[in-house]
Amino acid sequence: MDHAEIKDLIPLKALSRLDGDEASAVDEHLAAGCDECERELASLTEALAAMAIVESGGDGPSDRIWSRLQARLDADRPPQRIEYRTVREPSRGRGFAMLASAAVAAVVAIAVSMVFFNSRMRTDSSDVSNEIAALTARVIEVQRNLDTTGNQLAALEAKVAQTTDLTLASLGPDSQVVRLAGLPASPSATGSVALNRTEGTAMLEVSGLPPTPDDKVYEVWWIGEKQGPLKAGLFEPSSHGATIVSLDLPPPGEVVLASAITLEPSSGVEKPTGAMYLKGDFPRR
Amino acid sequence: MPADNRISDEALVSAMAAGDQDALATLNQRYGLALSAVADRILRDKADAEEVAADVLWQLWREASRFDRGRGSVGAWIMMTVRSRAIDRLRARKAREPRVGDPVEHITAEDPSNEIHSSEQRRKVEGALATLNDGERDLLRLAYFSDLSQSEIAERTSLPLGTVKSRMRSGLIRLRDALQGSIE
Repeated sequence: MDHAEIKDLIPLKALSRLDGDEASAVDEHLAAGCDECERELASLTEALAAMAIVESGGDGPSDRIWSRLQARLDADRPPQRIEYRTVREPSRGRGFAMLASAAVAAVVAIAVSMVFFNSRMRTDSSDVSNEIAALTARVIEVQRNLDTTGNQLAALEAKVAQTTDLTLASLGPDSQVVRLAGLPASPSATGSVALNRTEGTAMLEVSGLPPTPDDKVYEVWWIGEKQGPLKAGLFEPSSHGATIVSLDLPPPGEVVLASAITLEPSSGVEKPTGAMYLKGDFPRR
Repeated sequence: MPADNRISDEALVSAMAAGDQDALATLNQRYGLALSAVADRILRDKADAEEVAADVLWQLWREASRFDRGRGSVGAWIMMTVRSRAIDRLRARKAREPRVGDPVEHITAEDPSNEIHSSEQRRKVEGALATLNDGERDLLRLAYFSDLSQSEIAERTSLPLGTVKSRMRSGLIRLRDALQGSIE
């Protein structure tokens, strides 16, 4: 069949009314890259779509369809990211998750492209739909697995970054490090605070604290020589291993005498009100 | 749900690719009724039709980042995909159930569900459809809203197969030419 004969069949292609040899010939012609026939098919498809909207009775919202979509959106929420509660979220730690998502996107793009290419060579639309559905299900499953792995890697990266910050805060020539000792509210708790004003870094590492009630949070304090207790940050302890959090720096010029941790209402408070769980004194310079 | 008709469909799909659920809601506002109506005319089952309509929008939501504008407009993709999915579902249903009737019998130009909304675009399409003769218009409806083969359409309309083909072809080309320049 030559180009003119093929072009003559494009309207029937747009209507999905080609069978057998005619369908194969048109599909092969389009797959070979005939721009003129592609444009013809696209323009006729647009016309059919316009007719369908008018003939179907109207454009407008459907609350029942939205309800179905909303249910799917709710069910499709990605798994909760694994995070450590910190006062300042580290900016690092998303690289692996982003890489995994990019990899999945590339796989999906290639796979769907292959299916579409293959679909051009076939006439049975139900086979193509089934193939796309099966492929989509597999891709979704792979994506979920990679999302989970990516989240775990991101959490590990975040923890490594925090540990690095803690190390840097502890090792600088201007660093001040103080060990925190458990008080009667939590005698087995231990921790340390590293403050490096030159680098602008303050970190807390703590373990052995009991979980907080739903309406409570641990609050970290600098005890200043002039201003007394100054809030340094909020955190909830990790359920596994040590908790590492970055802290707000004490005000410039304020001499920090000590650091302490108290249990406070979940939004935090400006001055300590609850029981003290840990405390450590800074060495006087 | 938002109702911003100033945003193009393509911009909405881009927003969906970024995870904007309001963009999906807006597309449902624009096409939801049409999608379910097309599917219902093919399937004659409102629940099935709504499911198919939701499937189409869901597919667009999931694949928004890969939507190929070179293959046509969002509206055309939506309307052709809903037809294809509805026909697939109809075939699956026919394979499972004894044939009790043909939905095409219900399709007439005077279908009460065929209420035309007043809008500039709608008037243009109506005007374009008016340029078709009755035979062309009916054949286009039959071809779009049914799962009949060309031979079955010929049998149903008592027309020679060649006439069916030529009228479908001429009708669609005439519709396209009349609409040219008026479709977003």
